[in-house]
Amino acid sequence: MAAPAREEGFVRLWLAALAQLLRDQGAALLLLGAPVLYGFFYPWFYAPQVAQRVPVAVVVQDASSLSRQMLRFAQASPRIAPVLVTGDEREARQALLAGDVQGYALIAPDFKRDVLRAAQVVVPVYANGAYPLAAKQVQYGFAEAFGTVSAGVELRRLQAAGQSATQAAASRAPVSLQSVALFNPTEGYGSFVVAAVAILILQQTLLMGGALLVGSWREQGVAQADARTWLARLLALCTPGWLAGLFYFGWIFVWQDYPRGGNPLGALALLAVFTPAVAGLACLLGWWLAERERALQVAMFTSIPLAFLGGFTWPAEALPELLQWLRWLSPSTAGIEASLRLNQAGAPVEAVLPQLAWLALLALVGWSAMLVLGRRRGGGAFEAKSASSA
Amino acid sequence: MSAAFAASLRREWRLLRARPRDWAMVSWVPLLAIALMCWIFSAGQPLRLPIAVWNEDGGSPLARQLVRMLDATPGLRVQAEALNRGEAQALLQRMQVYGVVHIPPGFTHDVKRGASATVTLLHNAQLATASSLVQRDVRQVVGTLSAGVQMQAAAKRGTPAQVLAVRLEPIRTQLVALFNVSTNYEQFLATTLVPALVHILAMTAGAWSVGRELRDRTLGQWLERVGGAGGVLAALLGKLAIPMVLLWGSALAGLVYLSQLRGWAVAGSLPWIACALAALVAVSLAAGAALAGITLSLRKAMSGAGLLSAPAFAFSGVGFPLLAMSGGARTWAEAMPYTHYARLQLQQWQMGAPVAQSLPVVAGLLLATLVLLALASAGLARARRLPQRWGAR
Repeated sequence: MAAPAREEGFVRLWLAALAQLLRDQGAALLLLGAPVLYGFFYPWFYAPQVAQRVPVAVVVQDASSLSRQMLRFAQASPRIAPVLVTGDEREARQALLAGDVQGYALIAPDFKRDVLRAAQVVVPVYANGAYPLAAKQVQYGFAEAFGTVSAGVELRRLQAAGQSATQAAASRAPVSLQSVALFNPTEGYGSFVVAAVAILILQQTLLMGGALLVGSWREQGVAQADARTWLARLLALCTPGWLAGLFYFGWIFVWQDYPRGGNPLGALALLAVFTPAVAGLACLLGWWLAERERALQVAMFTSIPLAFLGGFTWPAEALPELLQWLRWLSPSTAGIEASLRLNQAGAPVEAVLPQLAWLALLALVGWSAMLVLGRRRGGGAFEAKSASSA
Repeated sequence: MSAAFAASLRREWRLLRARPRDWAMVSWVPLLAIALMCWIFSAGQPLRLPIAVWNEDGGSPLARQLVRMLDATPGLRVQAEALNRGEAQALLQRMQVYGVVHIPPGFTHDVKRGASATVTLLHNAQLATASSLVQRDVRQVVGTLSAGVQMQAAAKRGTPAQVLAVRLEPIRTQLVALFNVSTNYEQFLATTLVPALVHILAMTAGAWSVGRELRDRTLGQWLERVGGAGGVLAALLGKLAIPMVLLWGSALAGLVYLSQLRGWAVAGSLPWIACALAALVAVSLAAGAALAGITLSLRKAMSGAGLLSAPAFAFSGVGFPLLAMSGGARTWAEAMPYTHYARLQLQQWQMGAPVAQSLPVVAGLLLATLVLLALASAGLARARRLPQRWGAR
């Protein structure tokens, strides 16, 4: 008969901690408001997903039908938009320096004559390497457009030399490469960045909100409590974390049409361990800082290094070896790895067992440390009570 | 006014020295964070990215040659072999490799009898940086292999070698990346992320140092002997002077390290970048102070600073181009000071643009600083009259 009474008592403790959390405007805003706000805010910037029709210039110094054909093909490319056609290279270069165009191609004088007499003709394409993403579009755009013109000339030549059309096509490119983009088939930038950053948003908002709450309790001297109260508090902190996780995996990804839903049950398993790991860390941080607003100050700038340690934008292989180990201390590292595999790549749960086990271990260590640190040192029974009625 | 400035400066110095955590956040923590950013990108260029080969043409010579060539490419490392579709899929889904190169059955045979064969690269586009590097390298390897086969075939038909190159590609497109020739990420990311980090730290510092006076109900004490709006402004400047010098110095140390010791030479003017950096730190501090002055709450000021500064890098156009953003998003991005600083730094550091071109940017940042300082002062002058609002959490 004792067990159900205890059970009921725990639920009450959890509800009391949840109510405390919701009454604290600062914590509630960080734990519930911020994930929702960022869910709309962050994808907004990447809504177009790919940089299409990047402005470029074409310097045409040869007045021939072949040059005009080159220009037409460049204009037809979805990757680039020739906004400036000029005969003066200096003008193109100035436009590049001013940021009006991201690159230009140079069609030199006597271009057609050189092609006709089968001399080596090189068309330089200058792209602004300071902006790699746009530069890639400029290079591919021009290379595809001019490559098509070149292929046409080559095929006509091979056929003139007596090959049939199919023979000519085969001997033009004996081995060709076909690239197939998996998991993010449109190669969208938002799908690439936001799908991974979502985990970081979940972590940082829970970390700041939780640490702020615990920091306030420490200031007020109500942080110490028995193990059951702390369990209830940790669980209460997980509640908004889980809700926010479901909101991202179940709605933001769908709404933004990002690759998703590969393994929904696996994603739930991830949330089940990721959120407690972060909640434990948040409480420890708040306990250590012991000051309400300090968590915001300390955690604010960490998002940038953590994003680049997460392995999605900068390959983990390229990190210094020590960092390859240290990066696991943040739950976001395992969280991002597991989420991309489960949500975007549809991997089975076995594929992410190491990550899930590591998160569970982080949670276990964090929670145990918190229960030990936060245990009441005598006579604090009504501290928790006074906090819940405060 | 100068007395108010000096008094505030002295008081801030005393406070910072008495509070190790406040001191840490403007001194060694920023330095450490900047060092971490430089360390993350110290490899410059990711090399030996793991890929797998799914070779259905067994031990055929051409297939073996392709695998050898792939492994010999510095950017790639053939880490695994997939025996069938299932294994290839598992390797990709587990993200143990960034891509799988599929060699079809009869590959060598098809090429030998003069038909064309297609090699397929399945790459993980969800990890875009690695995926584009792998694509670039595999494309190059396959192109080289293809050209070799073509040369041999043409030589057999009796075409002289010197004519061959021209025959193969009548119009060759030569791709020249200006300003960052090898697309080095240390040069591109570390140099732009250091200022982005300092932007966050400075806005936080501005919000913290002013907001703390409100939270601790010490606003009256701070502005005790200060008269009028001008006096409040002077006291504010005195308060922000120390974080200004420390944060600017830390960021500058990072950029000097990257440009002098790591050798990412500045094509334009480093002193001009330093000026712009000072303007960025100033505008960030002023924005933080203004947030505190307007909200009258340390917590709200800090939240606001986070919302404005933390995603500033992501929306600055350094990664995803501004010109690709929709109207509203682009307007937001253009309203953020870091966006303008980042453009200036890229133009100066990598493109060697004339200083005159970015004069308006620095002038704009300074103007914004003045407006924000005025806002902060007005907010503080108002707060001084509302002692009942102090101590808000």
